[in-house]
Amino acid sequence: MTDLTARDDDDPVATGRRLGLYGCPTCGRVSRRLCAQPGDEAEVHCPRCDTPLHHHHPHSLQRTWAFTLAAGVLYLPANLLPIMTTRSVLGTESHTLLGGIRELWLAGDWHLAAIVFVASIAVPILKLAIIVLLAGTAQRRSRWRSLERARLYRLVEAVGHWSMLDVFVVVLLVGMIHFGPVAGVQPGPGLLAFGAVVVLTLLASASFDPRLLWPESPAAPAAPAPSPSACADVPPSAVPRHE
Amino acid sequence: MKPTAAWPVHDHGFGQPERSSVHGIPLVTQPDRVVCDECDAVHERIPLRPGQVARCHRCDALLGRGHLVTPTGQLAFALGALVFLIIGNLAPMVSLELHGLRIAVTVPHAIALTWRVGQPLVALLAAATALVFPLALVLLRIYVLVFLARGRVPAGFQLAMRALRLCTYWSMVEVFMLSALVALVRSAGVASLTTDVGLYAYAVLTLLLTSLTASGLHSMWKLSSDLQPADTP
Repeated sequence: MTDLTARDDDDPVATGRRLGLYGCPTCGRVSRRLCAQPGDEAEVHCPRCDTPLHHHHPHSLQRTWAFTLAAGVLYLPANLLPIMTTRSVLGTESHTLLGGIRELWLAGDWHLAAIVFVASIAVPILKLAIIVLLAGTAQRRSRWRSLERARLYRLVEAVGHWSMLDVFVVVLLVGMIHFGPVAGVQPGPGLLAFGAVVVLTLLASASFDPRLLWPESPAAPAAPAPSPSACADVPPSAVPRHE
Repeated sequence: MKPTAAWPVHDHGFGQPERSSVHGIPLVTQPDRVVCDECDAVHERIPLRPGQVARCHRCDALLGRGHLVTPTGQLAFALGALVFLIIGNLAPMVSLELHGLRIAVTVPHAIALTWRVGQPLVALLAAATALVFPLALVLLRIYVLVFLARGRVPAGFQLAMRALRLCTYWSMVEVFMLSALVALVRSAGVASLTTDVGLYAYAVLTLLLTSLTASGLHSMWKLSSDLQPADTP
């Protein structure tokens, strides 16, 4: 039996796909399909929580591209349209995302300006760029730096919702600074576009199946054909222990 | 021997492989295996000490954590979170004074104002992520944990757990907390503001929700199937 614990990139790793095992994304239970015929595409469900089980999420890339494209289109109005207008007896003033950061900077709150810049400008752009990189390489079934790309995917998942910061800030300012019809803060159309960008990038990264970053090597042996005895017993244990 | 993702109190080991037929397809469970969600690599399930973290040998993704908090402890966290969520929404977040006028601003008030001045969709988004999903998350956790802590599986457990996963993904209390601080500083030039009870309640809520969601949901599923006879759904 070949040693499947080797971490050399040329050696096949024991994957659920190769061993016919399904890990449930909802509850973590591992199941093995019995009596599978080659080419049988019937949908498998988790025996504990009834979640549909797949080795790859169906249509993951199509959905990721669609959400990413929509987010990219809305990114322009989100930055060009005012996210809020302030009204006072002196007149009405519109503020865009970048304008608000500039005001904070000029007022001397440079650390706050940095927080808002990171959350509102840097994170959305980086997220879009990383998702495009991941989806593009996954589409070409690239085996280039899978570990680094997996780390980028986890980064996107971890920082994604912090872009919502500016949406909350404006909503709170609207509530805080409101003095009847003459003076106050009003949310602008740019805020709606920005909120949509945040939600769409979250949906894009949630749709992406990170297993696409680890395609089987073309040299790797194909998945073993299920033998009749596979209907009865539990598979071999040539599986690495994790530390 | 303690299972990877189970509570120390309900120690049933890894269990035996169970055969079942789901929607006409025969399956056998493999309780001694873990499959990485992020790269599909298969691992042997090993017992984890409390606080120990298991990562995938190929992609370094989190596979599981040894639990520090029992179901009863988690229930206490969830009840605490509910109390602070209610305080945070009923008590004013900030009070401000302008020309002798004193206004107390609560979170629902700010969201309602955003709706009225012409951005109902933004108001809905903020209400969902800062209020509705966190509330649903806490209530669902309490519902499920009240039963699990007594050794029973509640009605509608599957549905509650799926909803819980969704609510956890879209709950953004910690982001809301930071934006409250940013909003405070930005409005400082316009009016004299004082922080109020609601803001502190949201700060505590952030800590409680973070420790609550850190443990993940797999252990609750595991516990439910330990409590339930194998062949009931």
